[in-house]
Amino acid sequence: MAITKVVMPKLSEAMESGKIIKWLKKEGDRVQAGDILAEVETDKADVEMEAFGGGVLRKILAQAGEKTPVGALIGVIAEPSDDISALLAGAPAPAAAPAAAPGPPAAPVVAPIGAAPSPAVRAVTRPEPAPAVPAGVTAGRVKASPLAKKIAAQSGVDLRLLQGTGPGGRIIRRDVEQASTRGVAAMPATTAPAVAGPEYEDRPLSPIRATIAKRMPLSKAPVPHFYVTSEVAMDRAWELREELNALEDQPKISINDFVVRAAALTLMKHPEINASFQGDAVRVWRRAHIGIAVALEDGLITPVLRDCQAKSLAQIAVEARALAERTRARKLRATELSGATFSISNLGMFDVAEFSAIINPPEGAILAVGSVRRVPVVEDAGLGVGRRMMLTLSCDHRVMDGAMGARFLQDLKRLLEAPLRLLV
Amino acid sequence: MARHTFDVAVVGTGPGGYVAAIRCAQLGLSVATVEDDRPGGVCLNWGCIPTKALLRNAEVVGLFGRAAEFGIKVTGFEASYAEAIQRSRRVADRMAKGVEFLFRKNKITLFPGRGVLRARDTVEVTGASGTETLSVKAVILATGSEPKSLPGVALDEKTVISSNGAVRSERKPASLVVIGAGAVGVEFADVYAAYGAEVTLLEALPRIVPIEDEDCSKELARAFGRRGIALKTGVKVASVKPGGPGAIVETDGGKLEAELVLMAVGRAAKVAGLGLEALGIVLDRGFVKVSPRMETGAKGVYAIGDMAGPPLLAHKAMAEGVVAAEAIAGRDPRPVDYANVPSCTYCRPQVASLGATEAKAREHGRDVAVGKFPFTASGKAVALGETDGFVKVVADKATGELLGVHIVGPEATEIIHEFAVGRTLEATLEEMVHTIHAHPTLSEAALEATLGALGQAIHL
Repeated sequence: MAITKVVMPKLSEAMESGKIIKWLKKEGDRVQAGDILAEVETDKADVEMEAFGGGVLRKILAQAGEKTPVGALIGVIAEPSDDISALLAGAPAPAAAPAAAPGPPAAPVVAPIGAAPSPAVRAVTRPEPAPAVPAGVTAGRVKASPLAKKIAAQSGVDLRLLQGTGPGGRIIRRDVEQASTRGVAAMPATTAPAVAGPEYEDRPLSPIRATIAKRMPLSKAPVPHFYVTSEVAMDRAWELREELNALEDQPKISINDFVVRAAALTLMKHPEINASFQGDAVRVWRRAHIGIAVALEDGLITPVLRDCQAKSLAQIAVEARALAERTRARKLRATELSGATFSISNLGMFDVAEFSAIINPPEGAILAVGSVRRVPVVEDAGLGVGRRMMLTLSCDHRVMDGAMGARFLQDLKRLLEAPLRLLV
Repeated sequence: MARHTFDVAVVGTGPGGYVAAIRCAQLGLSVATVEDDRPGGVCLNWGCIPTKALLRNAEVVGLFGRAAEFGIKVTGFEASYAEAIQRSRRVADRMAKGVEFLFRKNKITLFPGRGVLRARDTVEVTGASGTETLSVKAVILATGSEPKSLPGVALDEKTVISSNGAVRSERKPASLVVIGAGAVGVEFADVYAAYGAEVTLLEALPRIVPIEDEDCSKELARAFGRRGIALKTGVKVASVKPGGPGAIVETDGGKLEAELVLMAVGRAAKVAGLGLEALGIVLDRGFVKVSPRMETGAKGVYAIGDMAGPPLLAHKAMAEGVVAAEAIAGRDPRPVDYANVPSCTYCRPQVASLGATEAKAREHGRDVAVGKFPFTASGKAVALGETDGFVKVVADKATGELLGVHIVGPEATEIIHEFAVGRTLEATLEEMVHTIHAHPTLSEAALEATLGALGQAIHL
């Protein structure tokens, strides 16, 4: 029978270590692949950790409250007859072990998934007499339907980040579609936006871009930032919002929802802003997965609202609120912690006039949103009072230049100043 | 008035009800069933099963007619329609008895009579021997449906009959007008035509079996046409009145006379007089509205089968019965996958389908790949002498997802299931074609059509 190592999973790009909050299974319990073994506190959120193989939870190596590095062995699942002494006596889990955990890449990549396991993964299952095919999900093998695998490969969803809802935790088409359209399972049903073709394209670097890419990090490491600021007249958006919020049975809409919707539409027009630096290429995303910064007592989390380009204002309002609530309750799913292509940070509620945000790599830009202030404005007839909001776009210079950022901001400003377009 | 206590009462013992009752019993619940007709419902007594017996008769008669093709000389054979009906009754009786046996085996108590919900936990049964009250924790309603007619046309079950009358009547008319060319209409048209009746099939929509893929409609129309069944599509019936040899059917395309008129325009849920309104149970387009766990708006009251909405198919009802039973027993059932319910019509050639038609798939903006394999190219079909029809696979070009499968031909209703399994497992074209199909079989046509969708058909 297969022995499954339980290792501290890497649940977000930045995660280096995690703390077991509590074990939900105790030594001697029989577990199946997909069972929730423990709750893990990461630097960002509390996440449930599931078993990737079936058997008996023979050994717990990291007790509740203990902090362990990503990839470290924290438990062993095996049949009672299996000899696990060698494993327990063995060296601390090598760096290769994370293969047994839900995989790391924050940015979904198109890669054949469920292909032949790598040697590192093979070692984990210890095929003593014969390399038996383990039941359920074990290290490296993702249990997913053929159709789910194909859609995942085509839409850039990392199957290892998903929790299957099919029989025995099998990842089925619906799981992948939900992950790629919104990354959330329990959202109100919406029609999945029709996505044709791959989710991004890799554009070869022009010589200038390559030079910029090489030199810029030297001037400001690791991401060379530059900033573009613009003032937006929010009078019409403000009125429109009040009208919308006066409607019965409609979700309440915040100014930030307007900004998210407008940014998503503008990103579709300016994909060069919706882009990540990839070393030898610029990855231009075709869908706007927007990270929305949520302030918590002890820090900042930027959960991801997926496919904002395909969502109505009301949908964004409902989903963004639910996302923020789950963030505060620390109930985010692994898929909501990563995968943004662009971020928005709004400090308007703190009466901040304007500020600059730090880019969240591998994203290429972040939008900092100030409060809507009543200010004196020059009108045709003289001086009047208007509502104004400052937007500052922080850009990764390796990906884009000032004029690109400025054009994006210009179009974003236009949309917000003529906000009826956000309703259609 | 006797009072009885059970965990669950199931009202109606058709395929939805008896399956739900048995599944409840398997899960350790005590079960009462209520039935005002014979156990087994329309399916076993008046629908699926007896009509399949009749269609088999029709097929045998058809084979006798073709005996010369097989080098067999048959002179002066006589096919008695009355005996065909009698055989179909014997088949139905036997299957209905099977349900009673299953009830006994699973210690399910049958209360003959009409059940009415008095409260969420109380069912009152009025039968020949008086009224009894069942106190239960949950109720599963499975009262089914009954044939509809057209506005202003009464079903007298003598001259204007429904499927209910048709399965009982030993009379074979010289001429028959069938109104409605869905599954029920084409099946009875097939039976009566095989026994020599002059059959005219009317359909308001532009083609027969109108919910099927257009290719299926065309193929079936061709086969029916060859057998002398007159088809009139896109025709609206204005009235049906007594006259001529029996009835006169006025349509916007002229007047038709026939000895008998068979109304096959659909079925309506039987929801009246069940006590639904008092419990606030809501109807949606005439059907009871239910959750994915089959629960109605009233907690603890479940509804399954025809009364819970389309498709009105026995196998859908059975699947819903299992879901309701498991929900009541505190399990977490997988909801019924309505996109994957096979639709089967047992006329000759048979029609079976699953998922989206080619037109629907294109309408939904899918870039589709279509593979079609005719039975004329299937060795087994040629050997059988049953070469009408084809297997048609509609797939998503990018992913190979099986969007829909449409089969006309011999044993189409059996062949469809490999695709149903494939869709449940989310297999794509590639997995299907890597499945070795035995030779020679009719199912090879399924493989070839799948290969065709990949542009790799071998035998075409």
